[in-house]
Amino acid sequence: MSYRTHLIAGLSLLVGAVAACSNPGEPNDVEASADAESRVLTLYSSRHYDSDKELYAMFEAETGVKLDVREAGASQLLETMKAEGDQSPADIIIAADAGSLWRFKDAGLTQPLKSDALEALVPANYRAADNHWYGVARRMRGIAYDPNRWDPADLAQWGMLAMDDKAGEICVRSSSNIYNLSLMGEMIHRFGSEGAQAWATAIVANMARNPQGGDTDQIRAIAAGECSIAIVNHYYWVRLGASDKATDTQVAESTTFLFPEFADGSGSHVNITGAAVATTADDLGLAEQFIEFLLTETGQSYLTRDTKELPLLVGTPLPDGVDRLPSFTASDTALDVYGENQAEAQRLFDLAGWN
Amino acid sequence: MPRWMPSASSIPPVLIVVLVGLPVFAALYAGIAAGDGATWDHILQNRLLPYTSTTLLTLLIAAIIMLGLAVPAAWMITQYEFPGRVFFSWALILPLAMPGYVMAYAWADLMGVAGPLQSQIRALTGLSARDYWFPDLFSAPGLAFVLASTLFPYVYITARAAFSMQSLATLEAARSLGASAMDLFWRVALPVARPSILGGLCLALMEAAADYGAADFLGVQTLGVGIIRSWTSFGEPNTAARLALMLVFIAGVLLVAARLTQGGRGVQQTSSRWLTPHRTKLPRTAAWAVCLICSIILLICFIAPVSRLAWLAAETGARATDLLPLLRATLLLGIFGTIMAFTAALVFTLAAKRSHALRLSTRLIAAAGYAAPGAVLGLGALYMLRETGQALSGIVAISLLVWIYVSRFTSAGVEPMQATLDRLPINLDNAARSLGSRGLVHFIRIDLPLLTPGALAAGLILFVEILKELPATLMLRPFGWDTLAVKAHAYATDERLAQATLPSLLIVLAGLLPVLLLSWRLSQTERS
Repeated sequence: MSYRTHLIAGLSLLVGAVAACSNPGEPNDVEASADAESRVLTLYSSRHYDSDKELYAMFEAETGVKLDVREAGASQLLETMKAEGDQSPADIIIAADAGSLWRFKDAGLTQPLKSDALEALVPANYRAADNHWYGVARRMRGIAYDPNRWDPADLAQWGMLAMDDKAGEICVRSSSNIYNLSLMGEMIHRFGSEGAQAWATAIVANMARNPQGGDTDQIRAIAAGECSIAIVNHYYWVRLGASDKATDTQVAESTTFLFPEFADGSGSHVNITGAAVATTADDLGLAEQFIEFLLTETGQSYLTRDTKELPLLVGTPLPDGVDRLPSFTASDTALDVYGENQAEAQRLFDLAGWN
Repeated sequence: MPRWMPSASSIPPVLIVVLVGLPVFAALYAGIAAGDGATWDHILQNRLLPYTSTTLLTLLIAAIIMLGLAVPAAWMITQYEFPGRVFFSWALILPLAMPGYVMAYAWADLMGVAGPLQSQIRALTGLSARDYWFPDLFSAPGLAFVLASTLFPYVYITARAAFSMQSLATLEAARSLGASAMDLFWRVALPVARPSILGGLCLALMEAAADYGAADFLGVQTLGVGIIRSWTSFGEPNTAARLALMLVFIAGVLLVAARLTQGGRGVQQTSSRWLTPHRTKLPRTAAWAVCLICSIILLICFIAPVSRLAWLAAETGARATDLLPLLRATLLLGIFGTIMAFTAALVFTLAAKRSHALRLSTRLIAAAGYAAPGAVLGLGALYMLRETGQALSGIVAISLLVWIYVSRFTSAGVEPMQATLDRLPINLDNAARSLGSRGLVHFIRIDLPLLTPGALAAGLILFVEILKELPATLMLRPFGWDTLAVKAHAYATDERLAQATLPSLLIVLAGLLPVLLLSWRLSQTERS
């Protein structure tokens, strides 16, 4: 017998060991059987907040349904579902961007969920017209700025950021960030590709530095004096203000937040965290029950407490620190537009030289 | 008997070539088969050149930094006596335990405009951020620095081994002919050690080229970033896979270039006189200067970033209890992955001993996997999964993930073992064979003891690499198998850097033990 035979024997042993180690305690992926005792709902989520896990545990305790959660980037989850095909265990898709949800729909991975209850809870603007997804929380892209430098009237519209007086004043992260892509998606929708590219080119000319870091880094750069305007999602600014660290709260206090409009009275850019039902889900009732749970007062408060998103359910108490935001009118652009325009948005960013 | 004939003995290596190569080729094939589209045209016209030139610039600077740090350090540690020599001899391997993306978080925090260094400058001078110059970490040189500071130990390990295994006779001969210390290094030691050093550099550069996390965080537009962008922004994973061909091509060029400079089987030394070289005692000032240089390298590449992370973790008072399941999953996957990848690397190395054709093909296949970003191999795995009609869960997911570890990291196991073999006199092997040693007996009594130093290095490097692996693990792990890297990434993408530090530090800690073991073992080899 040669050593190779031993190697092969060893390999087979190892595969066995790996199989044994895939642990009886771990959730197995047998689809939810008719047995109510062992009902399983599988979530594919591009969110990854600890507060979500608390929320899921509450749903499990309340309903006796077991939740299996796969967290990864939206693009990765989408490819995974495509590869799994009919065999995918996915029941619910959760994504932190309307454009991502559109991509799942476009790939035929979601199914419509007609629900009077959900339609009553979610305003028409925050759900897909064809019922393929429902928003569960709002996230706004706006600007933080140095109030000693700018009057809010100088920044009231996105177009004003492209003006010459903002040269060397703007900090923003790289273009491939999904929130920049969605903002650009709405620009394309409103002003066409040419108008959107001209805007992006002017923003690049006004940048204080190369795009880098995350949104929080842009706000901190204002406090450090590197720029005076930062394009960021609202919750990063709110989190700084609600932080335990004095250095963070100082940053938030030295800046002001604003939701620019696209044109006079156009409303401001809105994005959502939303949920969709996967084509492979077979218990639609359970899926609806879960999304409804996200839209209860408990669901809303856990979704937004740590993330500092804005709740969708009217009357839900706002998370700490959100009250510092100015009021706004939401744009009425259908959110599916973000997904439809996403590739074009990246192409235009590339042409504009927005890294 | 011909040295190579198709026989039963060629089945395992060929099987493993297929195993290692399949995910890479599944992805690349999908990329090529997809055909041109608007996105590909756009990338070809507008982005390919900038992506490629940024990547090459980053690699060039990283190579210079790594050689500049690793080779002099290895030379001084093997040739001279100075305070702290024994400590530095192993401590300089520690940065290997830091994942590149974690190093990027730490340095971005330290060097950023709102970080402690720049804040101090402004507090002391009263200047605004626009009034002074500060090195820009968020640039190709910055990225090169971050990657080089975690990857230079590859070069250090190989350079140190080469210098310490150098034939004493050659050095003595040069000395007796009046060569100065400088001559000895430049004209005698370096040319002999060059193949090993280039081998280590090659490995480090392939790893640097495949990076996505650090480049993305620092906003540097490398091919790695372009690949992921084609997938996430344009929604075209096939274009991403096609762009990855460029990285595989660069790796192939690197490998062939290194191979050409090595020539044949490298420098064969028939003498077994690897006595511990007599280390020169340096004069007092020079000795302390060398000690200072080593301290600065260690401070910059390990102590400063780790301390910053520890500081951030302490500041937030993050709880450690939630991390135990993550640690468990990380270690289990690390162990499974290491065993499998090590086996593949061992089969490759032994097969390479018998056939030049196998030697080149195994190394190229392994390098293709090593050069491809983990996310692209993950895509390859998903394409294979599609053919099987299975869900990505349980044993299927674990097997696929371990498979990807094998495909991605076998090269990191082959290279150290190959380097060990190359330095051994072939006549040992031949003598044993002429005495009738064959099969398992030959493997246990001849191959294994000869390979041990390289095999140990290989195993430990593989373990550390797999602990740090992020993109494939993120894509393929089954339910409930979150690893430390996955958790650190989740916090970091949510811009909760302080919370990301605790899992990051645990990765470093988990990687530290094998690195220490490796250092100790290398010191033993040096002494024996």
